[in-house]
Amino acid sequence: MRLSKTDLVFLALAVIGGAVCLWQGGLPLVGAGFAEAGWLLMIVLPQLAAGLLMGGLISRLVSRDKVAALLGTQSGMRGLLLASAAGAITPGGPFTSFPIVHALWVAGADAGALIAYLTAWALIGLNRLIVWELPLMGAEFTLIRTLACLPLPIVAGLIARALVRLPFFTMRKAPAE
Amino acid sequence: MIAAAVVIWTIVAALALAVGRKQGRPGLRAAGEMALDQGRGLAIRLPLAILAASFLIQVLPVDALVPYIGPQSGVSGILIAAVMGGVLPGGPMTSFPIALVILQGGAGLPQIVALITGWSVFALHRVLAYEAPIMGWRFAALRLVASLILPLAAGLLAQGLIALTA
Repeated sequence: MRLSKTDLVFLALAVIGGAVCLWQGGLPLVGAGFAEAGWLLMIVLPQLAAGLLMGGLISRLVSRDKVAALLGTQSGMRGLLLASAAGAITPGGPFTSFPIVHALWVAGADAGALIAYLTAWALIGLNRLIVWELPLMGAEFTLIRTLACLPLPIVAGLIARALVRLPFFTMRKAPAE
Repeated sequence: MIAAAVVIWTIVAALALAVGRKQGRPGLRAAGEMALDQGRGLAIRLPLAILAASFLIQVLPVDALVPYIGPQSGVSGILIAAVMGGVLPGGPMTSFPIALVILQGGAGLPQIVALITGWSVFALHRVLAYEAPIMGWRFAALRLVASLILPLAAGLLAQGLIALTA
């Protein structure tokens, strides 16, 4: 297995992060970083496997034409609403949602829909709301925050659709299936 | 944690059943191969990314900023809280307890809404560990810029909602 350019970027980031830890807190802090990473990885790996499988299975179930029609550049407001609703009901952490986003991207969804999906998952995801926010922060806080965040996935999707026309943000073509 | 895993794997099983019914063994194999392909790409990247994010968690100070995001801090407090949220590391199992501590430490409710929104949409460690490795830096940049105003909007909307109900 050879290292790609992106792998090297992450290797550099890990080395820099480790060096900053060493400088700030010596070896114990570096150890704490390694422990945290190992623990995270153990939690993440099974869920990542589930996410990758979901992505693969979804790409078999939905045809490219259908996704492009429902969530593509021409899908308009309906596409953004649909993507937001899908994001809100996607369970699991980033290790499940990002593989699904990748599968939708390959299947023909546009940047606006993908960003509406991710924003909805991050802001109004039902799973996180029920498991973490409601028990920890209480019903009143959860209600106010959820209401305040409800329109935001659409806003982010619309802004993304406007931005993606600028040369700097032009998306590279989705990788072939 | 366990309930979430059960839900997730139930969905995987249901999807597999649907694919198996429609396309049989070849469909399942193709789905598995696609998953494996993507997993192979992440095999080196993801552990490195998670390690980098974990180091980040160790060195960022969070609680020193609480005095600046009180209930009377208004828009500037909302903005500071949004930025704090963006660099707040960890998943919901660490960030919600931190948010709770900050709220009880005297921060305002709209400010905490902005903080959680900032954490939800910016989450630098998540960009580093998952988004950039899977979707690429350009997509991550586009999403971050498109999300810039969201924490401010959420904080202001929350302030409006509180004023309405008060």
